[in-house]
Order: sequence, then C-alpha cells, then structure tokens
Amino acid sequence: MRDDERNVQPKHEESDEQEVLKFHFTPVDEPREEDADRNPHAKKTTRVPEVVHALRDAFDENVIWRVETYANEDTVFVDKARIVDVCQFLREEEGFNYFVDLGGVDRFTEDDRYEVFYNLVALERQKRIRLKVRVDEADLEVPSVTDVYRAANWNERECWDMFGIRFEGHPDHRRMYMPEDFEYHPLRKEFPQLGVPGSLPLPPQTPEGELTMDPFAAAHGSKPRKSYDEPQSDVADDEE
Amino acid sequence: MPQAPSFPGADLGEHFRFWPRHNEALYDRLESKHAWLEEKQARAEGRRPAGDGAIAEVDEDPLEHEMVLNIGPQHPATHGVLRCVVKLDGETIEKAVVDIGYLHRGVEKLAEHKTYQEFMPYTDRMDYLSPYSNNVAWCLAVEKLAGIEVPERAQWIRMIMCELARISSHFLWLGVGLMDAGAVSVFLWTFQGREDIYNIFDEVAGARFTVSHSRIGGLASDISPEAIRQIRAFCDKYKGVIADWEQLLNRNRIWIDRNKNVGRITAEEAIELGMTGANLRGSGVPYDVRRFEPYLRYEDVDFDIPVREDGDCLARYFVRLEEMKQSIRIIEQCLDRLPEGPIRADDAKQAYPSKEEVYYSMEGMIHDFMYTETGTTAPKGAHAYHAIESPKGELGFYLTSDGTGNPFRVRINAPSFTNLQVMEYIMEGTLLADTVILIGSIDPVMGEADK
Repeated sequence: MRDDERNVQPKHEESDEQEVLKFHFTPVDEPREEDADRNPHAKKTTRVPEVVHALRDAFDENVIWRVETYANEDTVFVDKARIVDVCQFLREEEGFNYFVDLGGVDRFTEDDRYEVFYNLVALERQKRIRLKVRVDEADLEVPSVTDVYRAANWNERECWDMFGIRFEGHPDHRRMYMPEDFEYHPLRKEFPQLGVPGSLPLPPQTPEGELTMDPFAAAHGSKPRKSYDEPQSDVADDEE
Repeated sequence: MPQAPSFPGADLGEHFRFWPRHNEALYDRLESKHAWLEEKQARAEGRRPAGDGAIAEVDEDPLEHEMVLNIGPQHPATHGVLRCVVKLDGETIEKAVVDIGYLHRGVEKLAEHKTYQEFMPYTDRMDYLSPYSNNVAWCLAVEKLAGIEVPERAQWIRMIMCELARISSHFLWLGVGLMDAGAVSVFLWTFQGREDIYNIFDEVAGARFTVSHSRIGGLASDISPEAIRQIRAFCDKYKGVIADWEQLLNRNRIWIDRNKNVGRITAEEAIELGMTGANLRGSGVPYDVRRFEPYLRYEDVDFDIPVREDGDCLARYFVRLEEMKQSIRIIEQCLDRLPEGPIRADDAKQAYPSKEEVYYSMEGMIHDFMYTETGTTAPKGAHAYHAIESPKGELGFYLTSDGTGNPFRVRINAPSFTNLQVMEYIMEGTLLADTVILIGSIDPVMGEADK
C-alpha cells in the first residue's frame, strides 16, 4: 500500500459483520468475570483454593471474610485482630514459610480507609498467597506479625513511615526512609506530590544562599499541623 | 536530647547533629537491640530469648573495648549511600543497625501521578545497574494487571536483554567486590565487559545506560541484525573471559581467605529473614522466580539454577559466577529460537502504534496521542502482583488500579531492601574489616532499596 492510500476511507462494503472497534478509552468499571482466571500472565502458583478451604475450616467467616480472585491470584481478606493467628496457621500448618512482601494501600474516600497486604510464599508447595486486612482511620493499629515472620520487620516500619499505620508489638518502631523528625506520612493520598514546604531542612541552593527557613523546626519544638487531622472540605482553613 | 542552638547565624557547638531525633532513635535502637548472636545462643542453650527490642544487659567495660562506629552514608565501600551504625567490641561487630533512606525519592508516590508508560523511566533509576530487568518487571506487572498479551518475539528479546542486564550487574558486583578486597585490575576488566554490554544496549535501544526500551505490550523497536551479531560475539568472547576470571579467583588464596566463612547464614535463617536472589541460593535454597513461576519463556529454555550450601560470601561468589554462565546459555538459546513476528501488541488500547502508523495515518496519530494521554487502563479495583528474578533477587510490583490510566497504588518489592534487612543480622559477629566484603557480597543497590 502506498503511503497516501493509507488515509483513504475503505469503500463501504455490504456485509453482515459489523467491525468491532477494539479502541475505546472509557475506563472499565469493574473487572469482568473472566478476568478472575483468564490472564495471559496467569501463574499456577497464585491460585490456592485448598489453602483457602483450610483457612475457612480453621477460622470462622468473620475472620476470613472475603476471598477475591483477579488475574488468577487469590487474595484473602482477614480480620485485622486475628492476622497473627492466620499467619501462624499458614506458617505452621500450610507451609507458607517465606515472607515476601508487606505494604499499605490508601483507599482514601472509602470506609476502612487503609489496607495492609501480606505476600507469603510456600517454598515447598510452590504456592503464593496474599492476605489483606482493612484498617480504619480512627484506629490505625495492626498487630505486628514480626513474631511469626521476622522478615516483616522492615516492611512494617516502611508501612508506618509511609502510611502512619502503627504495628502493635513491633520491636523497633522507627521510620524506615524519612528522618524521625519528619511529621507526615508521604504515601497518604492527601500528601502533596511536591511535598510540604518547610517539612524537611534543605540546604540553600547556592553556597552563599541564605537559609529561608529554620532547618530544625522540629527540634525547636515546632509542631506543623498535620493535614490528615483536618476535615477534607476545610481548604480555606489551611490557607488562612 | 541535646538542644540545638537557635538559628540562624548561631554557633552550632559540639552538640550539632543533622536530624537530632533521627539520630537519637538510631542510637537508642543500637543500645536496646538484642543482638542476633545472643538470641541464637539463647535458643541453642534452650533458654527463651529475651525478645527483640528488650533492653540488653550492659556489662561493665572498664577497659573501653567498646566503641560505636558510623560507616557511611558516604563511603566508597557502602556502594551508594548506606549507613551502618555498629557497636564494636575490639574489632568484632557486636550489634549493627542499618539506616537507609538517604536516596529516597518516593517513586511509589511519583508513580501515582504518571500513566503506566510514563513511569517506566523511573524504574531505570531504581536498580541502576540493570535497568532493563526493571523495565521488564514493570511492563509485565502492568500487562498482568490489564491483561495484555505480548507477542512472542518481544518476549524472547526481553529475555535476551534481561539476561544481558543480569550479566552486566554481576560484572559490576565482581569488579567492585574484588576492588573492595584490594584487587583493582579485575574492576577494569569487568568494566570492559560492561562496556561491551552498553554497546549492545546502545545498538538495541539507542541508550547505553538507562535504556527504557521495553514498552507496555511489547518493545520500542525491533532488534537489528547488527545487535544480534554483537550479542553472539559477546557470548562467544565472554565464555572464555569468565573462565579466565574463574581461573584467577576460584583457587586464589587471598580471595578465598577473605571470603570463606565470612557472613555465614544458614538456609533456615535466610528463609526466616526473607533473603532473596543469589544470596538465598548461596545458602542452599533453590528459590528462583524463573523456576518458581516462570514468566516470559523461561519454561521453554534449558538452564540450571546454581545453588551452594555454605551460605558464606564465597558461596555467593560461586553462585553469581555460575549464574553468569547460565545467562549466556539462556541468551544463546534465545538467539537460536528467536521467532519472526510483531514486537508489540496490535491494539491501540494496549500498546503504542508503530511509528509508521503514527506518521502516515490519522488513526495512528490519534492512537499515539491517546496512548500518551491516557494509556493503558485496567478495571477498577483490579490488583495484581508480578515478580521477576532480577539480578538482585525477586523484584515484584504490586499494582492497584482505580480504572483510570494512572496506577492507584504501586508497591515495589525491591530485592535490595529485603537483602539489606538480612545484612543487618549477618553483620553481627563478623569482623569490621569483613563488612566491606560482606556488603559487596550481598550486593545491594541503594537506588532500589531506598525507592
């Protein structure tokens, strides 16, 4: 085909088949039913119906309150008060001996605003499972699983640093990345992408440049207001 | 807490410390930490360990054997900006606290404000020693989330480039590790090797270091015959070169003495502490994501997963060296089996259109524009985790979607982060001079650990 022919509209041909345009940018609202297991990158390891079954046998339905499957991955929603017991069970009974990952999700406007997920692997059985707990904004405490999985130590610290979720019984509850003097939790949705001006002592831009702010405000007892303590609608309050 | 003097223009005095509370907490932790060694001993003797974080009994130290030493963050042996605060008893490290975050850029936050494709250059800068594997890890995660199928040719090319990235990363590890041990010449040789790989990347992607060549749904451009010739030449050459290095090092008295029995960790401890990658396999756990849950075409190629039982720095050296040879083996198989075909998904919603389409057709241009604007979308509430075996270990992305073109939440499971946590434990009980070897052997990259 010549280049200038590409733009020519094809002659209209009578046919019963309607061409289906694949191209549309409307967001898909909900996952379709077949998304649960049909995925070109689906892995055998991530589907664990027998483990879910065992969990349901061992704990009642208030503890294991939901199981979600997307892209052939099982996610088990666990009541946060019992997360340590569930982890203990998975480790001792089901062979999930290898802790891979833990992290938070800020779901913002939803009820039970935060989520903490646990990614576990059973090395012998070649299986992966993901547990999730929901955390309400009013009660930002999750029992720490460091007694079961020692590897969760840094991940929980990171989660505290980034989301402000406290882990009860954690042996070393410091921040992971940000300095201890920092007052915010950056991965929360209301934390601005460019940061909060004045929240970190930054050096002047040139060697002769003057410092524009007190670099040790926290050490001097200044307590910046936390944006997440304030109601959402009160933008004007912040600007004065 | 020491009072910082008023500001500005004040005499900062001897109490000046940069982030007072941060350092306070760090030293508190060092003081109160229950050393891993003590705990192991207690367990061996059947006593119940006092628990992590309990206040350890402080013995009298009239001869002042003990001192606290800061290593890093700016120190050539820390391979970046890693800070270790160690409590020494003579020359032995009694307790160690690792402080990271000096390279924290918040890429997880940045990702929430980018489209999926826009975020890819940021992944280059995470594990900056092997950018290509990060690109592929990111693309695979997004493709899983959005259910995008990748053409076969693209998968094979991705595999070739991932293995090249692994070799390039291991070259650096070897050169720098040996330089830490005092042998500077090997550093120059491995950098020659990296230079050859850069040239291949240059030919394939047009960039030498931060390649950003992979695309969601495929690749940016096809691999040229010249690149294939270069890769073949590289494989032929470096089989011999790696054998030469082996001849130099495998029975080298100095190298073995510096590495053997240093930083030893057993398989049980390594699993318990969540170690990953070559370090875990050096302890005798054959966990490799390429085998555990094969991605791309790794189930179709023939390769071994090197495992060593010893769990010391020497074992990790042997594992990585063997891994390089296996990578070359994988690359040769990929080159032999490279099929013809497209390199990107043919769907405007899933991948960029080719440049010819963009330049010469109206639809192509619109598609290109829309893909840059909005890009791939995944269903609302969808979430997926995809991991690859990066040179450092299991690199996974856990993505959550809210139905728009931007990811709602990106969680990066960085192997260096996991390995550094283990290093804090391994350091306890080793000699101070061995930490340099140990850090090199664990092979952390701070760009990745700090995100």
